Amino acid sequence: MGIDPRVAGAQRYSVDLERPGMLHAAFVRSPHPHARVLAVDASGVPSDCVTLLPDDVQDLHLYGCQVRDEPVLTPLARHAGDIVAAVAAPTAEAAKAAARLLDVRYEELPAVFDPVQAVSPGTPLIHPDGALSAGEAVSIGVRPLAGTNVCHRFRLVHGDLTAGFGEADVVVQQAFRTPGAAHAPMEPHAAVAEWEDGRLTIWTGTQTPFNLRGDLAVAFGLEEERVRIIAIPMGGSFGAKTFVRHEAPLAALARKAGRPVKVVLDRTEEFVTLNRHPSVIRVRLGAKRDGTLVAKELDCWVDTGAYADCGPGVATKLGYAGVGPYRIPHVRVDALAIYTNLPPNGAFRGYGAMQSIWASERTMDVLAERLEMSPLELRRKNLLRDGDVFATGEVMHDVQFERCLQAAADAVDYERDPRGKGLCVLLKGMQTPSRAAISVERAGVGYVIRSAACEMGQGVRRSLQLMGAQMLGCEPGQIDVPEPDTDTSPFDTRTTSSRSTHMMGRALEVAVRDLRASGGERGYGEVHNEGGLDPDTGQGVASTHWHQGAAAAHVTVDEETGKLTIEHLHGVAYAGRVVNREGAELQNEGSMIMGLGTALFEAIEFADGQVTNANLSDYNLPAIGDLPKRFTHELIEREGAEVHGLGETVLPPVPAAIGNALFSLGLELHELPMSAERVLAAVDARDARAAAADSAPEARVPVAVDGQGLSG
Amino acid sequence: MGGGTAVEWLAPSSLEEALALRAERGGDTTVVAGGSFLAILMNQGFVAPTSLLSLGKVQELRGIDVVDGELRLGAMVSHRAVERDPVIRRDWPVLSRAFGLVASPRVRNQATVGGVLADADYASDPPAVLCAVNARAVLRSPRGERQVAIDELILGFYETCIAEDELLTEVRVPAALGPAVYRKFRSRSSEDRPCVAVAAARSAGRLRVVVGACAEVPQHYPDVCAEGADGPIDDAVAREIGTAYAKRMAPLSDSRGSAEYRRRVVAVEVRRAVEMVGADGAGNGAGREGAGGEE
Repeated sequence: MGIDPRVAGAQRYSVDLERPGMLHAAFVRSPHPHARVLAVDASGVPSDCVTLLPDDVQDLHLYGCQVRDEPVLTPLARHAGDIVAAVAAPTAEAAKAAARLLDVRYEELPAVFDPVQAVSPGTPLIHPDGALSAGEAVSIGVRPLAGTNVCHRFRLVHGDLTAGFGEADVVVQQAFRTPGAAHAPMEPHAAVAEWEDGRLTIWTGTQTPFNLRGDLAVAFGLEEERVRIIAIPMGGSFGAKTFVRHEAPLAALARKAGRPVKVVLDRTEEFVTLNRHPSVIRVRLGAKRDGTLVAKELDCWVDTGAYADCGPGVATKLGYAGVGPYRIPHVRVDALAIYTNLPPNGAFRGYGAMQSIWASERTMDVLAERLEMSPLELRRKNLLRDGDVFATGEVMHDVQFERCLQAAADAVDYERDPRGKGLCVLLKGMQTPSRAAISVERAGVGYVIRSAACEMGQGVRRSLQLMGAQMLGCEPGQIDVPEPDTDTSPFDTRTTSSRSTHMMGRALEVAVRDLRASGGERGYGEVHNEGGLDPDTGQGVASTHWHQGAAAAHVTVDEETGKLTIEHLHGVAYAGRVVNREGAELQNEGSMIMGLGTALFEAIEFADGQVTNANLSDYNLPAIGDLPKRFTHELIEREGAEVHGLGETVLPPVPAAIGNALFSLGLELHELPMSAERVLAAVDARDARAAAADSAPEARVPVAVDGQGLSG
Repeated sequence: MGGGTAVEWLAPSSLEEALALRAERGGDTTVVAGGSFLAILMNQGFVAPTSLLSLGKVQELRGIDVVDGELRLGAMVSHRAVERDPVIRRDWPVLSRAFGLVASPRVRNQATVGGVLADADYASDPPAVLCAVNARAVLRSPRGERQVAIDELILGFYETCIAEDELLTEVRVPAALGPAVYRKFRSRSSEDRPCVAVAAARSAGRLRVVVGACAEVPQHYPDVCAEGADGPIDDAVAREIGTAYAKRMAPLSDSRGSAEYRRRVVAVEVRRAVEMVGADGAGNGAGREGAGGEE
């Protein structure tokens, strides 16, 4: 009956780590977005410091979770903030001071900061060698376009697009943009690296201990077993602490120092470490007069920044999520993951889904207006139902989109009066293929459950205790869940994509059966979900388990200033069966609040490739005062259903629901965030259209914009 | 924070001692009040002082007093104290409201009345409202004491008329004789700084409208305000004043809004502020209840 250690201040995070004889690291970062390192002069650095210079990493290899394109120290800075050298010193302050004494000479190169520009002819190439290798290519099927900045192209082809648009009575087309965003976990990236007898141990806050082990083994040319990752609980992550980040240069520095070395990034560094993918998405959508969808085309430019990281996976998921939970006979998706000279972009709660759902669900309301049909009715008419075939060829089961959508609509009384209200319904996949293993051991009167599921505040430890207690017939407190350790925890693909409770819960059932069958001392369970999509056709198994949800928003606008008031926001997640009700509700609330920030004011701002708001004063996060006047949500369950992941489900629909609420007032927003200034511009545009229509009624154009290009 | 070299920390425990240190060390040491702003600058690497002169232990600077109807706020009075003090809430409610709209309670517990004026950050809330209510800052040095109006104090971005041997020790606010409002227009989070701040006060037949957060210094156009001097301010007058402020101003652009957007919002928010104080007749004291509007 103790106080939660996080509340009592007793929880140790990676920022709290101490090892005997430990030094502290600071990284030397390029001030230029694209520059060759000509020389590094470390002669000014005090003698009690250890420097890591380009010569020290000659024997190391490129690494990367999906494309091996990232060096431990870069001889070619590809973004402002790229790490070109490192220093270890007795204190963190001394390390920072010494890092400033390293003199680096650069040759600046032309740079590109926009994904659409980055694929136009004549643009400087950011990875001219097109560094590529297997990596995870087996599962994701990375498709780079040689001689361009495209590190992955995902295409989905379903039916015959030309024929589909030929059948359409109405076609709408619109381009949408989303900016980069910061994960902004309370705890920054931090880690300690230590070498002993040629074996590397890293204590770090990570969601991906086994990927990190594998990637570092590649970088250092080691057997995987010679790398050990101990995954310390995180003070938040939201995708920021995935794959290799600060750990690679830190490990190289510790190798050179011959002592443990610790690093804690500061908030400014967080903004150049990993962000959310900016995107440009063009949607073309065709329907019959009665609202039956017949064709959809999506072109997506996904800015993955200086390194691919998991950008290929994000572009893929963004691509198929943009199809939406609808029966559409003819679909084409073309999604490009594109290098630019911005800091790397990677996993961010929703993994690309928000970007394409924003574009796709906004377009649904544009189409509804053209058809003079209720947006709710248009969606209902086309939603996937049990047994329907999705654009990837998958047959859909346990389909709950209509329930989710209806619950959202009812919450804001949409059918009685839709003015100022907007809806969004979404489908989102889970990491596929993937594998999860777990072990259960009897320990005294209780049990130990070992798993590589990482705790980042989402409550996975608690979920394992609750599920274990139910299966084993004990109290949750009698189950110990040690922190993940690649030496002792069974393999797990990673703690991402809202998969842990679902996958680990299933593995735990197997482990508990094994425990009972084998004498009650030890049990082991493992589950696999097979699948994956063909990157050239988008056919296959996108997800063995679908995240389904919806949101509804009711807004009012101060039309003189563009200031938006959210009167009510309601989120709906399909939970299947709830394991930890309080935890699940908090996931909904957290997702919706993050969605509000994305919708209303979060954006990383750049000037010539430099982040200009790299602090939490200039970069606004939602505060308690930003919550809508009414802020509600629900978890939809079904008797006998399996556990569904829900850690991200109600973030992606929030911006589109708010955007559609504005659209119901004639205000067309195509770019996030929907700042007061952009809303006021939309008021002006609406009034100008009305004035034009009044003066020339015969020339009245529909509100929907056909063919807004990307150049504007 | 400082990066390797030790930072000198001077912590006088009396005003006399503080003034002596300030006079002796001048620009060699950076004065710290609550530290909420200075810490951001230091963390960002914008400033790296080698010596800090903290006023944290100077009890004489923490007083909230009313002398002959005039409010006297010590430089080290926190925003939170202004927000919550019962006398200020009753007699200068616009100040309680304006200081209570700054950032979050954590920041307001730390940030001080003297600090926010001496920082002269264009995006802070208090300067505009203090200017509108005709407050004066007391500057002291071993040479003596002088009082300056807020628009004399703040000269530009992060620039004040405080001399190298002076400390801002107190802020004095005359008795509030009429209605006053502070409208904080935020374009982003509720805890953000204002995109446009408008303070308006009407007292003894005089209207003062001050726009903050839009330019280097708070913007006050007495000739435009003179339009609203006598009698009831109707909607047309309020609109005219709003339009005139928007026209005359050269707003800046930042991540809270472009110059053009700010100009639009200034016209609206000035009009609304003037309507609020104008609704109160000639502003001869009846309208304290009207104080404290926000967006």
